[in-house]
Parts: sequence; C-alpha cells; structure tokens
Amino acid sequence: MIEAHSGGESPAKVAMVTGASRGLGRELALFLAARGFALVVTARSAPELARAVADLEAKHATVKALPGDVADAGHRKALVEAARAFGRLDVLVNNASELGPVPLRPLRDAQADDLRHVLEVNLVAPLALVQEALPLLERSRGLVVDISSDAAVGAYPGWGLYGSSKAALDLATKTLANELRASGVGAVAVDPGDMRTKMHQDAYQGQDISDRPLPSVTLPFFAWLLSQEPLKVTGARFQAQGSLWEVPA
Amino acid sequence: MNLADLRFERPENLVAHEPPERRGAGREGVRLLVSQDGVQRDARFVDLPQFLRRGDLLVVNESATVRASLPVEGRLGEHLLNLCTRFAPDLWLAEPRWSPGKPGPMALEPGDELRAGRALVRLLAPYPGIPRLWFAQADRPFDEVQRGVAGPIHYGYARAFPLEVYQTAFSRVPGSVEMPSAARPITLPVLRALAKAGVRVAAVRLHTGVSSLEIEAATVEAQALYPEPFRVGPETAAALNATHAAGGRVIAVGTTVVRALESASGPEGVRASQGFTRLYVNPSRGVRAVDGLLTGLHDPVTSHLAMLSALAGIDRVKDAYAHAIRERYLWHEFGDSHLILPSARSAS
Repeated sequence: MIEAHSGGESPAKVAMVTGASRGLGRELALFLAARGFALVVTARSAPELARAVADLEAKHATVKALPGDVADAGHRKALVEAARAFGRLDVLVNNASELGPVPLRPLRDAQADDLRHVLEVNLVAPLALVQEALPLLERSRGLVVDISSDAAVGAYPGWGLYGSSKAALDLATKTLANELRASGVGAVAVDPGDMRTKMHQDAYQGQDISDRPLPSVTLPFFAWLLSQEPLKVTGARFQAQGSLWEVPA
Repeated sequence: MNLADLRFERPENLVAHEPPERRGAGREGVRLLVSQDGVQRDARFVDLPQFLRRGDLLVVNESATVRASLPVEGRLGEHLLNLCTRFAPDLWLAEPRWSPGKPGPMALEPGDELRAGRALVRLLAPYPGIPRLWFAQADRPFDEVQRGVAGPIHYGYARAFPLEVYQTAFSRVPGSVEMPSAARPITLPVLRALAKAGVRVAAVRLHTGVSSLEIEAATVEAQALYPEPFRVGPETAAALNATHAAGGRVIAVGTTVVRALESASGPEGVRASQGFTRLYVNPSRGVRAVDGLLTGLHDPVTSHLAMLSALAGIDRVKDAYAHAIRERYLWHEFGDSHLILPSARSAS
C-alpha cells in the first residue's frame, strides 16, 4: 500500500477511482483531489500508480493507493476497506476497463475466454465493487459513476467485446439506479467520448490520434456532475463531451 | 462556416455608452430595425406590436443579473475576476481580466491563489478550449465572496451602473453575470400594447455567462463554448408547441432564449428541460424551436452572429448589419433593437 498524508482527521468527502494511474482516471483523481476529496485509487501497474500518486501528493491530496486488479475479489475488498478507514465513500468511479485483445478484431474471430475476461473486468468487477461498497455509499448517500463508451451504442465493427460489455454496464447502472433510489444512492453512466488516451491508441494501433482531445476535455462535465444531488441525476447516461447535461425537470 | 464570413467593420462610435433613460428617453426609447425577406425597415421600439401577429408568442428570459465582477489581488497584482458560470456554491467558471477594458492574456497557473476581500480563491484549471476561462474555487461560498466587494460586470465602452439598470421587467431568478439585455426595452406600456395585439409572453431561464469571448477557432463550428444553466418549464414548452400547432410564430427575446429553447427541442417539439447547455446554435445546426428573434446588435465574430446566421442566413444578416451601420444604429446592451422575422412567404 502506498500511503500519503494519512492525517488523523477524517476527511469531509471521499472518492474511489479505479484505473487511476493514467488517462481519464488520473485526470478525474486530480480534479477530485483539487475539489477536496480524499481518494482511494487503484490501477494494475504499481509503478504507474506510484507516479500518479506523486502528482496527487504534489497537490496536497489525501490518498490511499492500492495497486491491483479490480477483477480480483480480494483486491476489491481491500479497496473498500481503505475507504472504510476514511470513514465514508461519496463517489465511486468505476473507470478501469479492458479493451480485449488488440489489434481489435471482429466478433466472428473472438475467443470465448477473451469475452469472459472483458466482461469480468468491465461488468462483473464494477458491479461487485458497488456491492462491496454499498454500506458506505448508503451512509454517505453517494454516487456511483460507471464509465461507459460510445461503443456501447455504436455497434462499431471490431469493438464488439468491449462495446457489449459497456452496453451491459449501461443497463446494470440504470437498474442499480432504480433499485438503490430508496436508499439514497445514485448511479450514472458516463460516455466520456473519444480522447487521446493509451486505451484509444491501443484500439487504433499505428494511427495518429493527436486530433483527439486530452481527457481534461471532460472536466467541465465532471465539475457539473459532482455538483449535482445524486438522486437528481440517478439513472441518467451522460455524454461528457456533449452539449447538453440534462436533469429530469 | 469560416471565421472570415462573420467579419464586418463597425464604426467605433456606434456604441451606446449608457442606457437610454440616461439619455433622456424611456427604456423603450430605442430604435427597432426589422429584417424580413431581405427588407430592412426602420422603426421605433414602441412599434414592436405592429410587426407581430395575433397568436405569436414572445419568449423572454427570467434570469436576473447579479454582481459578478470581483476585484482580486494575486501573483500578478491587482486585477479582476469576472464570474461566468456557477457550478457549485464554491466553484465557478471565471474570467480573470486586467480591467473592464483590458482582457488577458494573463500568465496564470493552476494553483494560483487570488485574494478577494477576506476570501481566498484558487484557480484549478483552465476551461478546455477556452484558455481565458478558469475553474475558480473559493474557501467559502461565492455568495459570501461577492457580498460587499463585487460590482456588475461591464466593459470598456460603458461604466458600471447600479444593479437595477441591468434588470428587465422579467428578471425574477438571480444568476446571470451579464444582463440578458434583449428584453430591456420591453416596459409595461409595451407589454400592454403586445397583449392588446394578441401577442402572448412566456418565460424560460438561462443564466448568462460572460460575453467577452470571441470565436478564436478557424471555423465557427470548431469553437468550444462553455455551458450555461437553463430551464424550460412545462408551461412554456406547452405554450410554444400550441403556438406552432396553431400556426403562430415563436419569437425569442434574446440569444439566451434561443439557446434554451433549442436545447429543449426535439423531433416532437419542445419539452420541459433543465440542466447545463453548451449547445452552439450555428448555421450547420440550424434552428427548430424558434421562428424569429428580437435581439440587440452584436459585434463581429461573436457566437451570437453565428446564431443569427442560423436563423436568417449569413447574407441576410450581413445585409441587415450593413443597413444598421448606414443608418447609425447603436450597438451593445444599452443600444438599439433588431427584430429578425421569418419569411412572410413561408407557410406559417
């Protein structure tokens, strides 16, 4: 466990971000830290996570970092334990995702094991993490943010594994929203749009993706989302780079 | 649409530096340019009902103006922080400026701290695609920061006036940092004349941000826009759809109203809607919910001009503006009005 600024006082707000070592997850962790959240962060690569934590520490953030795989039940338990040590959990960002084998290939050539693995990381793990964290989320009347993709609705050739896992996550998020409303917990799906990230580069191997915006392009949306009452937005699916972020009238 | 398409030369002196009531007239004592089918008519604002029809619907903005210009002191010395869009009680999008007449660029960095009265404001990050705007976080609610130290936002061409000068007859819900000015000349006598002419009025809410930003990208469509909070209520949505069903025209009073209504429009007409919108109404997108627009005269290369072009076509807008310059209409929020009507030859 990498630990930083484990001050005695319990923080006012706590967020957990998976896949926080780079790309969107790292950007979100930095923004949440700037907004005063204490953070529990995770990613598979310990050295990359350590670098992200160094950036967070430079901004005087309170961080608990646990490298590991969200598909591992023991790791999920440890993450929630870390949030429990902070005393609460206000925001859970399920961002860690698995693209599947690259270069991307059509579904007719997909291996069943690859499908199982993508679903394990992109659908089973986020749901299991919500289950594990639910007592804390209920106490804090928190918000689950499931990071989706336009591939969930686009039916793009080659994106079948990833896209169907995100489509399933979208429905699971919406169902959770309906089931959890009474307990005060909100759940939203967010399509961040195309961004200049390692995952995007993996999907477009050898191609120039420098015309895609950096993950910071989504900050206005997240600044807005994190200012909303969870129950006002729950059940919605947002496009972070879209032009309209609507709440039920 | 390219940037160059929106350029024109406006003589420096065609600017209203103060409201008409300070020039010895009433609020309604401004001129009205009416553009329809490529024809320009010069009128007085009080003639407005003559150009509208029984069954038309005027839609106004109910947002009221707040004091949003904060004197601050930071690493670069004393300057202004003009609040733009409220995200949370302690988080606004804001524009640091040297002074009302002097914008940036300013060499600011994430993490920079500005003192505003007793409060401390931290700059978190610039807005993606609009480097002049920053997310600014205060150590207390901005309501408290503004109290006592903030003034109304104004620019070099006009001094700051008391806050009531920046309100309209429809200002009801505080939140705009600049006056939604198109409704400013609509006074009670004008409203009575409109009612007598069978023109109805409905309201939407859109809290305006700063207007100081020009299109900086090469094409109109590529320009990033910041979001504004808006609300279209069920009554207004119903009134608008009923107006269209009955063959009436929907006239937006101000570009803010166009943005709100178009944000709430879909294939089934306009629905009740609220949230944040950064919808860019430009010629590529077109308009669906509004038929006409009552507005002021806008500067070259602003996103407002792109919106006008979405409504009337760029050539028609250029003709109207050439006429306005020739006839010496006055620009900006205290200036003259411009009514853009849909073609009289079209079905509705």
